[in-house]
Amino acid sequence: MRRLVTALLALALLGMASAQTLVYGASGFPSSLDAVDSQDGNSLVVSAQITERLVDFVPGGTDLIPGLATEWSANEDGTVWTFKLREGVNFHDGTPFNAEAVKFNIDRWNDPAHPFSGRDQGKTFVPWGWVFGGPLGEGNLIQEVTVTGEYEVQLTLTQPAPFLPALFAAVYFQFSSPAAIEANGVSYGTPGVGAVGTGPFKFVEWIEGERIVLERNDDYWGGPAQVERVVFRGIAEPTARLAELQAGTIDIAVLLSVDDLAAIESDSNLKVMIPASELNIGYIAMHQGTEPLDNVLVRQAIAHAIDREAIIDAFYGGLGVAAKGFIPPTMFGQPEPWPYSFDPERAKELLAEAGLANGFTVDFWYMPVSRPYYPAPQPIAETIASYLADVGIQVNLQTEDWTTYLADYQTGKFAMYMLGWNADYADPDNFLLTFFGPSAASDLGWDSPETVDLLQQARQVADPDVRADLYAQAGNNVVRDVPMIPFAHNRTLNATRASIDGWVPSPLGYSSVSLHPVTKAE
Amino acid sequence: MTAYVLRRVIGLVPVLIGVTLLIFFLTRVIPGDPATAMLGQRAAPNLVQRLRTDLGLDRPLFLNVAKVRETGDWRGLFDSQYFSYMSGLLRFDLGRSIYTLIPITESLRHRFAATFELTLAAMFLAVAVGVPAGVFAATRRGTIADTSIMLLALSGVSFPVFWLAIILIYVFAVTLGWLPPSGRLSVNMSVDPITGLYVVDSLLRGKLTVAVDALRHLVMPALALGTIPLAIVVRMTRSAMLDVLGQDYVRTARSKGLSERRVVRVHALRNALLPVITVIGLSFGSLLSGALLTETVFSWPGIGRWVYDAIASRDYPVIQGGVLFVSVMFALVNLLVDVTYSLIDPRIQYS
Repeated sequence: MRRLVTALLALALLGMASAQTLVYGASGFPSSLDAVDSQDGNSLVVSAQITERLVDFVPGGTDLIPGLATEWSANEDGTVWTFKLREGVNFHDGTPFNAEAVKFNIDRWNDPAHPFSGRDQGKTFVPWGWVFGGPLGEGNLIQEVTVTGEYEVQLTLTQPAPFLPALFAAVYFQFSSPAAIEANGVSYGTPGVGAVGTGPFKFVEWIEGERIVLERNDDYWGGPAQVERVVFRGIAEPTARLAELQAGTIDIAVLLSVDDLAAIESDSNLKVMIPASELNIGYIAMHQGTEPLDNVLVRQAIAHAIDREAIIDAFYGGLGVAAKGFIPPTMFGQPEPWPYSFDPERAKELLAEAGLANGFTVDFWYMPVSRPYYPAPQPIAETIASYLADVGIQVNLQTEDWTTYLADYQTGKFAMYMLGWNADYADPDNFLLTFFGPSAASDLGWDSPETVDLLQQARQVADPDVRADLYAQAGNNVVRDVPMIPFAHNRTLNATRASIDGWVPSPLGYSSVSLHPVTKAE
Repeated sequence: MTAYVLRRVIGLVPVLIGVTLLIFFLTRVIPGDPATAMLGQRAAPNLVQRLRTDLGLDRPLFLNVAKVRETGDWRGLFDSQYFSYMSGLLRFDLGRSIYTLIPITESLRHRFAATFELTLAAMFLAVAVGVPAGVFAATRRGTIADTSIMLLALSGVSFPVFWLAIILIYVFAVTLGWLPPSGRLSVNMSVDPITGLYVVDSLLRGKLTVAVDALRHLVMPALALGTIPLAIVVRMTRSAMLDVLGQDYVRTARSKGLSERRVVRVHALRNALLPVITVIGLSFGSLLSGALLTETVFSWPGIGRWVYDAIASRDYPVIQGGVLFVSVMFALVNLLVDVTYSLIDPRIQYS
């Protein structure tokens, strides 16, 4: 017993000695630290402390600020962009960050024939395709990267892109040391190798399924970080994450359950961390390939039948708001306000007008997993079903495995379904083109060449007022045809120990939060 | 005996080939493939096509007839996903995870060690408590002690593991602060792996503090995971003991004037052990295949959660490697159980 007590005391002492270690409780472990080859927040939150982007977001906001690039400018039509790079920055392995390094990274992501693309051995660079359309020659945006000086690169595009800097600010596009990639090939980013970048923290070790350890980069161009070490742990269950935080074994816990909000607020050892707003949206889609959803009156009736405010009050713990459109309310390019307020009588009238006074039966698919924009998909779907039943629409609730779900909604298998979106970059393009671009014909059975055209035009115009107008016009088409119902914007609940300062929640999600300014009181 | 074991091991080969075929095709029958899982919501047709090519998913599954027609060489028949997988397997190369690009063998080494350590702890608990409790209950049949033990055992099998785990964490980690909530080691502790079992490794390396820390992390997961096997072992031991205690040779032993202790421990228990060993073996085998709920709640990096996540994301190499490995382990544990029979009961002879 005495030996046990001694051991416990020793443990406690060790714990004190390492007070400058920040322990971060994520919901899982990275898939890879090669950022452009990963796609989930758990990967990106770690790699973003090691490797950096050309363009960054202001902490806690969506305005662009310099990252590894200090200035950028475009030619008149926005097809050639010049980025001036930060000078005197070194990667953690001592090699210089310069224009050649930028070209190496972008070419590696873009060109399948690049000697270190690794695509033939399993590298996929999926986010590159998401944001830039695909690899070289397959519908992509970047045609060529030219080194025009030691610290200057020029990007030639296949079409004008006035918001190119915003695309490079997306959390995926982090720059790695070319030397480290050449030395490690396809293993770059795995636990045995980690990542080598220019960021405030250096990779130390990654024990699979247990922890990732980073240490401070004392030569960081922005000055050394406040804490000496950061340890990332993956704790899958929100309840367990909160328990760890309460027990003091972790300092930051992200993505907690809103049911625990009151408990966190009443605990003086903890601080609640909620972003002021978050760029996400949950929506209800209605596929026009299914009768009678092809009738706009029926879609309007459904929109009128659901009391979104009441559902959000019940399931979002005060963190969510009813969506007034398909882009977040703070963004430019807003269409006319969403006119379909909760009005069951009006819904019944519209159904009668459509010749369906006795209602109809429809399949409604709900997500098998929760996401910030739909924190409790099944109960929310059940409530929506009961509202629809009130106006005579009988709903069959359906669900299936998430991967299958994501493949099936694009085939028209679902008559009505729930889905949503977390933004990669703060631009209406990232919302509207995703929902109502070329894929709307298959995802929604909504074939509106005019809308697709407006959205493609808006991508290529430099004048912000013209862009805002084009997005508003496209948005008005959506209001008119109701291919989907905007449901909610939500915010995620995170918490830290009271001793932690400087962790600023971001509208783009927890993976975009830098740990550079975070302090931990003794 | 050696010949018997050898025969059994050789007999495993066709079984395992069957397992590879079964897993290979089952994983591909599930709708959606890694390309759609990875691209998620933004699966534009050109991206899906590119990704399928990059991942080799556009190759035929089993026999590449097209290639034979094209080249006229019959060997082209085996240029397919299944035979590439099998040829890797013959070189003990299970490939890399599609998502993490970590070699499967590397993950297996790490994850199996975690699963094995937890299984050993849970089964230790189940056997060390379960067998004596079962014997105790059997020898006091019908008493309050017997009824209470059996009632506890019944609630043990019925209690949801997930809830038990959460309650343990809240009581012992959050409220009392006696034990760490989850994980395998505290973040300021580390040990150079030898066996991969942290308690053993830290003792071998002479790091007592680390061993204590590892043990403290083991307590709650082992308790949560061990509850069901414990309950099963108690019930099985009790009923086997009751069976044996009623037999003639036990009456003979008693009438010879042997002490009750000797009758129970030597004559009855040894004979009652056969069915008990069977359930211990079965429990052990199934715990080795990972424990999804326990691993999830206690952030234990074992095989169960790993394979579960792989199924959700259609990470074919991980599913194939993980399930194959678990099958081999299960078969080996079964073999071990059969061999143990003959050690306990000399009447059982293998030749």
